Formats: sequence, C-alpha cells, structure tokens
Amino acid sequence: MISRAARALAHLLAAVVLGPATFMWALFTTLASGLLSFTYLGPPAFLAATWVSRRIAHLERWRAGGLLGTAIPDPYESSARRNPWVRGRAVAREPATWRDLAWLMLLFPLGIAGGAVGVLVAVVDLATIVAPVWLWAVPNPHLPPVVDTLFNTVAGRFGLTVLGVLLAPPVFWLVRTLAKMQAEIAVRFLGEGPRQRLAQRAAELTLTRRRVIDAQAAELQRIERDLHDGAQARIVAAGMTLALAERKLRNGGPQVDPAREDVRTARRQLDDALAELRRLVRGIYPPILTDRGLAAALAALAGDAPLTVVIRADDIGELAPAVESGAYFVVAETLANAIKHAEASECLIDVIRRPDGFLRLEIRDDGRGGADPSGSGLEGLRRRVEALDGKMTITSPPGGPTTVHAEFPCAS
Amino acid sequence: MRIVIAEDLLLLRDGLIRLLTDTGHTVVAAVDNAPELEQAVLEHRPELSIVDVRLPPGFRDEGLRAALSVRKRDPKAPILILSQYVERTYAAELLADGNGAIGYLLKDRVTALDDFLDAIERVAAGGTAMDPEVVRQLFARNNRDQGITTLTAREREVLACVAQGLSNSAICAELVLAPASVEKHITNILTKLDLPPADDTHRRVRAVLAYLNH
Repeated sequence: MISRAARALAHLLAAVVLGPATFMWALFTTLASGLLSFTYLGPPAFLAATWVSRRIAHLERWRAGGLLGTAIPDPYESSARRNPWVRGRAVAREPATWRDLAWLMLLFPLGIAGGAVGVLVAVVDLATIVAPVWLWAVPNPHLPPVVDTLFNTVAGRFGLTVLGVLLAPPVFWLVRTLAKMQAEIAVRFLGEGPRQRLAQRAAELTLTRRRVIDAQAAELQRIERDLHDGAQARIVAAGMTLALAERKLRNGGPQVDPAREDVRTARRQLDDALAELRRLVRGIYPPILTDRGLAAALAALAGDAPLTVVIRADDIGELAPAVESGAYFVVAETLANAIKHAEASECLIDVIRRPDGFLRLEIRDDGRGGADPSGSGLEGLRRRVEALDGKMTITSPPGGPTTVHAEFPCAS
Repeated sequence: MRIVIAEDLLLLRDGLIRLLTDTGHTVVAAVDNAPELEQAVLEHRPELSIVDVRLPPGFRDEGLRAALSVRKRDPKAPILILSQYVERTYAAELLADGNGAIGYLLKDRVTALDDFLDAIERVAAGGTAMDPEVVRQLFARNNRDQGITTLTAREREVLACVAQGLSNSAICAELVLAPASVEKHITNILTKLDLPPADDTHRRVRAVLAYLNH
C-alpha cells in the first residue's frame, strides 16, 4: 500500500513540475504555428513542433499507462508521405495532434490542483506521524489548551502520531484517487479517439472479410476437387460396369434382350448426370483455373469466343483463388454479352496487377453498346465483384463501344 | 493391344483395367502419377497410353504435360487423354505436333463401349479421336466463320463427325447415310472451306481440326 501510495504521490508531483513546462510549450507551438501558417514555412514548422509534442505526449501516455497498469498505444495515423509540406498539412488535420496539445495545456491546471490537494494532504499527514521527531524544535507558546497539550508534551506528540496513522488510509485513498483521475483524463485525451477506433475497426473488418472470401474460394475449389475425385469418378465407374454388363448381355443371346434395354437406359441416365455435374462444376469453379491459373483460363475463354479477342495479361503472377475466379467470371460474362447483345467483332482485355495491390481489368469491345448496367446479368456480376471488395463500372453509350472496368484488391 | 494406363483414382483405374482386359486388350502397366507414366512408356513402349489430365503430384494438368513430354521424345507414341472436363486449349496443344495418333475424350465416353473401343483402335492406328464436346467448342468459336456459315445443316453434322476423327464408314453408321452421299458431303465441305481433297482419313481430320483451331 505504501509503495502504491508513493507512486501516486510521485505521479501528482511530476504533474506539478511538468504542467507549467508543457503548458508553455503548447502555448508556444500553437502561437508560433498560428503565425507561421500565413507563411510558406507553416507546414514543416508545425511538423517539427508536432514531433516534439508527440514525444512529450508519449511520455504522458507512459506515465498514465504506468499508473493505470495498461499500455496506451499511440493513436497517430501512419503516413508514408515524404514531402514535409504535405505531411505537415496531414498532421494538422489529424485530431490526435490537437488532442495532444489540449492535454499538454490542461496538464498545468490539473497538475497544480492535484498537486495542491494531494501533496499538501500527504505531507501534513506524514508530518503528523513523525511529530515526536520534529515538534520539539519548533516552539509554539501561544496555542489553545488542547492543541497545546498535543504539541508541547511528549505524550501529546505521540498522540499526534497515532492520529496521523489513523488518518493515513483515507489520505492514501485520496492521493491515489486524485492520481488515477488525472491519468484517466490523460487517457481520454491521449488515447484512441473515435476516428482511430473507426479506422481500426475498418481495418479489422477488411481483414476478416478477406479471410472469409479466401476461405469461401478455397472451399469452392475443394468442392470442385471433391466432385472430380468423388461423385464424378463414381458415376464414371458405374457407367463402366454397366457398359460391360451390356456387352455381356449382348453376347448372351436373344433371351436376355429386355434387360439389355434397361441397362442401356441406365447408362444414358448416368451420362446425363455427368453432363449435369460438369456444367455445375464449371459454374462453381472452372477446372482450368485450378489447373492453370487466370492467364491461361482467360486465354482459353478468348480462344473459344467467336470473335477476335486480344488479351494482355503479362506478369500478373500468383493470385488468391477468390480474385482469380472473380476476374474469370467478369471476363466470361462480359464476353458473352459482347457476343450475344453487342454483336461485337473485336474485344480487348487488359489485365494489370498494379504495384498498389490492385488487379485491374479493362474489357472493351467494338459492339453497338447500349448495355443496361442495372440488368440482371451485369448487376449480379457487380455484386460478385463488390463481395470481393472490388469495384466495377460499365460505360456503354448507345452505338458503343462498351467498356467494363473492374478492380480487385489483391495484396498478397 | 498393349496398353499403359495413368489414372490416380483407384476406382477408375480398376474399372479401365477390367474393361480393357474383358475386351481382349492387355494392360502392361497401370500407374497413378505423371513421372511414373513417362517411365512406364519408356520401359514398355505400349501400343497406346491412356492418360488422365489431372494427376499427382500437383493435381493440375500433370497428365497432359507428361503426355506432351512423351510425345516430344517419341513423336509417334499413340496417346489417348481422358478427362472429367475438356478444354479446346488442351486439344489444340495435343494436336499441335500434327503427328496424329492422339485422342482427347471425356471420361463419360468410356461407357459407350463400342465407340470407345473404336476410338482406341483409331488412335493406336495413328488416327485421331476428338470428343464431341471439343468439336462443339470448336464450332461455337467458328460460328461466324465465312466458310462454316455457308455449310448446310447436314454438312455441319458430317463436319462434326470428321472433326471427331471418324472414318467414312463410321460416319455412314452414325448419321445413317449412304457411303456415296457421305463422300459427296465431304467433297462439298472441303471445297467450301478451301481445304485440299484427301482420301486419307488421318490427313483429312488434321486439316479440318487445323482449320477449326487456327
């Protein structure tokens, strides 16, 4: 209890010392940058001053965190920009910068108030406890009778010690509460503000969303493989057995003819089931994507289309399955539209992986345009793209050409 | 016929072995991955290799790649690719060397036993067996082609049969036509597509597939 009380007291004392200094600094920075903001030097000067302010704020965070027993992270937004003017302006727009300065100013009155009450009370109580040691050296000739007995007799002075010890717990409580209040107010100003909390939440949601999307794509790929190795293989195997049976029945003679017809029907039904499964699999996750990746799958799409398709998809590298299938279906659907509705004779497809972590698709045809972006096909496609956190825009003026842009985040 | 099989799924491998053995063929080796296929072909020099596209270790298109690599070493080695799905791109890669003795069929076709056995014989004899699904994809791709659009419906049916690698007599049976009319249709088709006349089925199918694949 004593050590905790001592820490709280030290906290209050430090605030008394730091308060005036931080107040002066905050006042100086605010005034100086206010004046400089009219000149060219404003942003870099503010950036430099903020650098110092943030160090002080960091110290304050460390003090408050130490007292409360929790680490308080820096709430600043990271900026990759090098230009001091651009950065200075960005820093000035950040709420955390101003919340820091507000605290540096507030520390002065709060520190003095906390110090005045907390430190005074603590010192008086300590002095009372150790009264026998020092009171004899301070003569107090003119005191009321009860106080005189306490102050000027040895027994009285020990009585004061007892009184001081009895008062110690409430005094400790007061000191600790004051220090805690100070630290909690500091956290309000120096901790994460609503903007940081939202930004962090958004980052978390983006991450979890990507994980869900990746998991879903992996699951679809798994289903494709399971169907390939499971249901499809079993049906083929059953078909083989029936084929052999049919052959044996044929060789058996005329008396088994009725059964042969049934066997043949069963075999055809299995063929239909396989064709159905194959169509289903293609819609779930095109096998060629699993086997050869996006560039090859797009080349296959282009090769199958009855119009000239030029694809530029160099250096797109490895992509997440979700992005691959998303891009594949955008191209497949757009090509189908170009053939069916736009009567295009040429289509240009650009696939670029940009250094900022986006896969960009541009599909342009020379058809007659007039596609309705809110039509069910394009709307479904857009929803598919948006589920991947991507964007899709369609421009298709009457008379053409139709251009489809799609963008997917694909940071590895 | 001496045959090597590469199929990773036990169920289908056993099914194929039973089917081929029952119809009088000999399976000299049945392997379940791509590297062993190349080894087996080198060792046994079979009259035909039946290969699944998706094989270990990667379960992507290892079978196809192994088949192409076998063909590079031995350009005349007859190979029949079986797959759960067909891609025109893969067909084009298989046909690229122009040597024939190549087949590319959906696994479903195995169950139409007579047609399948016929396809095996054709490929082993240096001919071609293309899946009707591949041919359908080729037609879809060429549906605005100048030459193809001038064909009659019957001529397109005949062309589809030719593209699958069927011989004249097989086309007669398939479309229930007289040999003379099949020949007439084929002459018309070759003229309209501006292809050289050919008596040899193998050269004819190669020309037609090259035209559709261009």
